Amino acid sequence: MASLEIDGKTFEVDGDGFLTDPSIWNDKTAQLFAESDGIAELTPNHWAVIRMIRSHFEENGNAPMVRALCKETGLKLKEIYELFPLGPARGACRVAGLPKPDGCV
Amino acid sequence: MITQEQKESACSILCNQADSKIETHLNSCVRCGLCANSCMYYKVYRQAKYIPAAKVRLMSGLYRRYHTLEGRLLRGCVGACEINEDTVKEMVDLFFGSCTLCGRCVKHCSIGVDIPFLVRKGREMLSAMGLVPSSLQSTADAAIETGNSMAIAEHEFTDTIQWMEEELQDELEDTSVQIPLNQSGKQILYTLNPREPKFFPLSISAMAKIFHAANESWTLSSKYYDVTNYGYFCGNNEQAQKMVLNLNDEAKRMQVTRLVLGECGHGTRSTRWEGPNWLQSASPIDTLSAIELIKEYIQQGRIKLNKSIDRKVYTLHDPCNLVRNGGLLRELRYVVKHSVARFVEMRPCGSDNFCCGGGGGNLAMSEYNERRLEIGRIKADQIQKTGAQVVITPCHNCVDQLTQINHTYKLGVEIKTVAEIVANALIMK
Repeated sequence: MASLEIDGKTFEVDGDGFLTDPSIWNDKTAQLFAESDGIAELTPNHWAVIRMIRSHFEENGNAPMVRALCKETGLKLKEIYELFPLGPARGACRVAGLPKPDGCV
Repeated sequence: MITQEQKESACSILCNQADSKIETHLNSCVRCGLCANSCMYYKVYRQAKYIPAAKVRLMSGLYRRYHTLEGRLLRGCVGACEINEDTVKEMVDLFFGSCTLCGRCVKHCSIGVDIPFLVRKGREMLSAMGLVPSSLQSTADAAIETGNSMAIAEHEFTDTIQWMEEELQDELEDTSVQIPLNQSGKQILYTLNPREPKFFPLSISAMAKIFHAANESWTLSSKYYDVTNYGYFCGNNEQAQKMVLNLNDEAKRMQVTRLVLGECGHGTRSTRWEGPNWLQSASPIDTLSAIELIKEYIQQGRIKLNKSIDRKVYTLHDPCNLVRNGGLLRELRYVVKHSVARFVEMRPCGSDNFCCGGGGGNLAMSEYNERRLEIGRIKADQIQKTGAQVVITPCHNCVDQLTQINHTYKLGVEIKTVAEIVANALIMK
């Protein structure tokens, strides 16, 4: 376990910087995590992605397929990659407060 | 507390007759130290414990303690090493947390000791004791339980493939382009890294475009398509074997003549080169990597490429398992040089290239994230010195590590798979 300090706030995270306890996540957490990834401001499109990932996680306990993400937000794949430069997993899922997905991500 | 039972199962790994290579390699290291500077961990941290020979010493100490008379009697005096909680901690840290199994040390070893082979034996011992880092073990377990390491449900996979097919048809304005799924009797069964359908499906459509241009008869399977093999990383041969068997059996069931392994370094190594050893039998089917297949297409004129479309400067990261350990150096360069006009090698390159830093399962183990990015600095420097705008690599694991390195060290490059650059240069009939 590690801790991550952003803007004077400390979070318990895993080595990859994913929240250890996803239940403490809130909008402010998302903003702080996004900032630490170099995303200066969360736009409505960012929020659409974050909300979708979050609700999928709360229902199913895992990250959604990028297919479902595109379908439900109406965004194109390319747009999602542009919104989160680290990709849907290390980028978007981390900002949405999920645990790190398993595998080569 | 390490139980007697744990100790015994770990020790039995060291005296497996089928692995007689162990003794030779454990007894050959002359501690010349040439391996030190070949290792990314030592180069970055400059700590003696990271020297590859130190990992050999730990393994030979364990062997000596439990399998030689002098080790049993004289213990520490002959460098014998007891399995206890401290040793086990050290083993986890050295064999999982500070070795990417890249094999660069073997190349620099004055006598060719297969150090990553010994490290992997260490991992096998830890696996036998149930001490594999949980993040890594859970990925392997998911593959055994669900058929793929990311536990993707079958309908989600199918849905993604259909979506990619529609997108591809739109892009090419051609409804005859397909991504065939579960079609028996084709020539090729193609495999994927689950991160492609889950998060990065554009490499699937890139490969489909190449197959279409080559007029290939191929299919995907919605059940067993996972080319990764986390059993290999865990040192769990039983699981590793099962994963290879799943693909072999699926190829047989689908009645294809060739099993083509998607762009994945360790998966190719496991399925193609390690698999026959684990299964104690030759591959039942012609198994080859996507790189070799694409090379074949270009050579036989089955696909035509126009490499002058793109004017960006490209460089190539050699995945350790495909190039240094798999020997696909020329095949890879043949494909790349036919696909891009402006190409520059990084230094060192080919079989002396450095690992991306995320190999050996390190990408999946959060506890070593900091170390992984720290050693990635070497790769960042290599990339920066080429002045390239795009880094090509035929391994999705490397792609992810390079993406993180790109972000961390602000390199401002793009990372592409080989299928993506080939698809980009395709001349469609």
